[in-house]
Amino acid sequence: MSLDLNRKKVTKNAYRITKRRNYTALRVRVPGGHLNAAQLSIIAGLAETFGDGTLHVTARQGFEIPNIPFERMSEVNAALKPLLAELQLRHGVQIDNIDAGYPGAGMRNISACVGNRICPFANADTTALAQRLEGMLYPNDLHVKIAVTGCPNDCVKVHLQDFGIVAICEPEYHYDDCIGCEACVKACERKVTGALTMQNGKVYRDERRCIGCGECVLSCPTAAWTRRPGRLYRVLIMGRTGKRNPRLAMPFLDRVSEDVVCQLIKNTLPYAERHRLKCIPKEHIGYIVDRTGLDVFKEEALTGIEFNPGARIAKTIQWPGYNTLNDANFKLISK
Amino acid sequence: MNKSFKLSSEQFKTVFAGLSEHYCIVGPKRFAGLGRFSDTDLIRYAPLTSIDELELAEKSCFSPKDLVFPPDETLFYFNGQQFSEAALPDNLEIIVLLRPCDINGIDRLDRMFMKNADVIDPYYQRRRSRLHFFMIECRESFENCFCVSMNANRSDNYAAALRFGKDGVEAEVASDKFLETFAVNGSVFEFKPEFVSENQIKVELPKVETMPPEIFTDKLWEEYDSRCISCGRCNTSCVTCSCFTTRDLFYGDSRTCGERRRVWDGCHLDGFCDMAGGHTFRKNKGERMRFKTFHKIYDYRKRFGVDMCVGCGRCDDVCPEYISFSNCINKLSARLKEGAE
Amino acid sequence: MSAQTTANPYLPFVTKIIAVKAETESEFTLTVQAVCSITPGQFFQVSLPRIGEAPISVSNYGSDWIQFTIRAVGKLTGAIQNLKTGENLFIRGPYGTGFPVDRFKNSRLVIVAGGSGVAPVRPLVDQVVNGQLPVKSLDLIAGFKNRASIIFTDDLVQWQQKSNLTLTIDKQEEGWDGATGLVTEHIRKLRFDTFDDLQVIVVGPPVMMKFATAEFRMLQVPAERIWVSFERLMSCGLGKCGHCKIDYTYVCVDGPVLNYSYAANLID
Repeated sequence: MSLDLNRKKVTKNAYRITKRRNYTALRVRVPGGHLNAAQLSIIAGLAETFGDGTLHVTARQGFEIPNIPFERMSEVNAALKPLLAELQLRHGVQIDNIDAGYPGAGMRNISACVGNRICPFANADTTALAQRLEGMLYPNDLHVKIAVTGCPNDCVKVHLQDFGIVAICEPEYHYDDCIGCEACVKACERKVTGALTMQNGKVYRDERRCIGCGECVLSCPTAAWTRRPGRLYRVLIMGRTGKRNPRLAMPFLDRVSEDVVCQLIKNTLPYAERHRLKCIPKEHIGYIVDRTGLDVFKEEALTGIEFNPGARIAKTIQWPGYNTLNDANFKLISK
Repeated sequence: MNKSFKLSSEQFKTVFAGLSEHYCIVGPKRFAGLGRFSDTDLIRYAPLTSIDELELAEKSCFSPKDLVFPPDETLFYFNGQQFSEAALPDNLEIIVLLRPCDINGIDRLDRMFMKNADVIDPYYQRRRSRLHFFMIECRESFENCFCVSMNANRSDNYAAALRFGKDGVEAEVASDKFLETFAVNGSVFEFKPEFVSENQIKVELPKVETMPPEIFTDKLWEEYDSRCISCGRCNTSCVTCSCFTTRDLFYGDSRTCGERRRVWDGCHLDGFCDMAGGHTFRKNKGERMRFKTFHKIYDYRKRFGVDMCVGCGRCDDVCPEYISFSNCINKLSARLKEGAE
Repeated sequence: MSAQTTANPYLPFVTKIIAVKAETESEFTLTVQAVCSITPGQFFQVSLPRIGEAPISVSNYGSDWIQFTIRAVGKLTGAIQNLKTGENLFIRGPYGTGFPVDRFKNSRLVIVAGGSGVAPVRPLVDQVVNGQLPVKSLDLIAGFKNRASIIFTDDLVQWQQKSNLTLTIDKQEEGWDGATGLVTEHIRKLRFDTFDDLQVIVVGPPVMMKFATAEFRMLQVPAERIWVSFERLMSCGLGKCGHCKIDYTYVCVDGPVLNYSYAANLID
């Protein structure tokens, strides 16, 4: 019997059309890029049982299991159950039918750097935030890429995401504990933005230069710099790769709470649904914002958000990027 | 004659509240989220508003030395030709809850600030004289402790010694000053503090009267040239490190008004031995390690008859480069033995 | 705690500058009005409020005046250089152990001083030259980097008449008809038949002291007969700040003048 597939349904189920006819590849979600070793065994088992025994680690920290026959999808979905249960139970994802495989594939896997469970530089538990966002946002059909990084060093490259979340540190200075050793000043000068200067034997921080990386806290031998309690984030938006206009995400919100971050992205879903081009199957969020303009995005995505004191928002954004159609800049160097 | 008492948790709270009316009570306290890394805590000596704030489960990152030797202290103010000695912000007597190693550590500071060269440092003295030790009984080591090897695990220099148990406090009171409040609130009980008698970490101190000159330039120190990053954490966390530098500051646009302060300095920090004109002694980190090591376990003893280091192990706790001072002492002793053979 | 109240030793007192004399382009001698009991070789903590404090050795003194010879190498010394007669200098001291002057009485005294190291021995040389300190002989080797860095030119003229002075510069310069070469070369020329009443003083930069003392040792001069003066960073002068500690010695209180038999074993 010939294979008769509803391609759109299959795609939404996280299976993709591959080069090899009648064979698919399954995308496995790993929110925050962190999983239990037992889950890894299940994923390995899927590849061995249904695929060709190989696995691809995706750029977004998920897995792709290649060479699964389309006809075995329902078996695979049944075998996926423990992974879905993990999403459901541990991360709070709403899944109506746990036997039917992944309920959506629009929102890509939420990636995160190792965060402060491991990394001394990280200002927050990025894994936990990625998992919280997964529980809150998945499943949805919006083509949106989200990543969380623990500090402005941006190891996970949030600058290429639609929503790039950067955990930041609000350094607090304890004047009496400072011995003027200049360790923080040197660290900031050498590694960051030179936001710190010595004046009268004490350290002064230029708030406009400080990017909240936390190097001063790390370098201080007397704990004269500490982190202000409560997690704060900077949200960069609408960076992308893509064929038309690759560009870096730009700061949109600064010093905002985790709740603000979550609410912003949540509000983006109805905004996108309202404004997306219905004539194409799925439109990437970045292009929707291009079309509506930032002001409309602001108005709708910030609806109902209660901002924490000290939160800041970008007045305007100009995204640095380039149009790929720049042939005029090229000349032949070799015939 | 010392008297000892048993107090329920509630009774001790009453004692604490009563003492709080007349004394500032300071002890190791946990500050959630203020650790060096995010979502970690900082434990340091601070005024306690309740005994529940006393942190007993973990070693403090910093020592109680800032009670007598603050990181930054104004010595005097100047206004033209007038100098006026900086007054203490308050006259509060302080009860500090601390372990035997730190009591011994403060004894090492006493020798530096009150005895060395027969000069009494007035700034140290005025803080020191208002301090009362309530010793926290310490029967088990924390990580990196080597107080037993340093003979600093015991002390009888306390106004009171306290054993904190699940259902209360046992206390030995040595100072009449505090006898009444314990007697009124507690019941008479036999209690004598015990001391940790063995640490997991042991150091062997060098058994030499005089260090042979060749050990100063021994290759033993070379590894620290590249390992130490001269961050100074070993100095700032050490209860016995007492070095300081003076610094003048001025007020705004004033040409005449300002103050002279002293701030902690450390032999591992750059600039500690810079001379005007550019000459620097101990440029290499290994030389600094040698300088510190000898001071802590050799030359201080030659001057004061007792080793400076009290084996609290805080330097090992905080070194970001995993340099272990206790291991260094053992390496030195081994090297001296090798040399002697 | 035994509480013994003493005057605060950290508080400086104000002195008036009564004379300023440029020695070289960067070195100068200040004379301040002050009455103090001083031993040659001692130092003061000299300060300018707002700028800072540093140890400076006494380069001469009288009943009501003290001289400091200072090289402008940093923020503080640079600021002091700008001071004029009539302005104030803030000092506390004197600190440290000076030269054991009594031991030098009736000795054959040899003094080797390099560069600004001439300053701390100047009061001592003056005492010899003006007869206050009787000695059998005085050999004085004063070494400078070059002609332009020679300090105390007037004194040197005077000293030349009353002592066996060798004034040397490191390398020959045009118009210089005096001695040349490092001080060590001139130490080598000294001849000692006996060390009985010999006393040697070596003061100067660390490297110069190292080689000069070694030179005397090679001439078999007993270490006990050699005296050196150390210069270190100091923040207190009271044996507290820890900067000047070498081994168990605090240069500020145990020194700066130390016998070489002791100082030779001190490794920074």
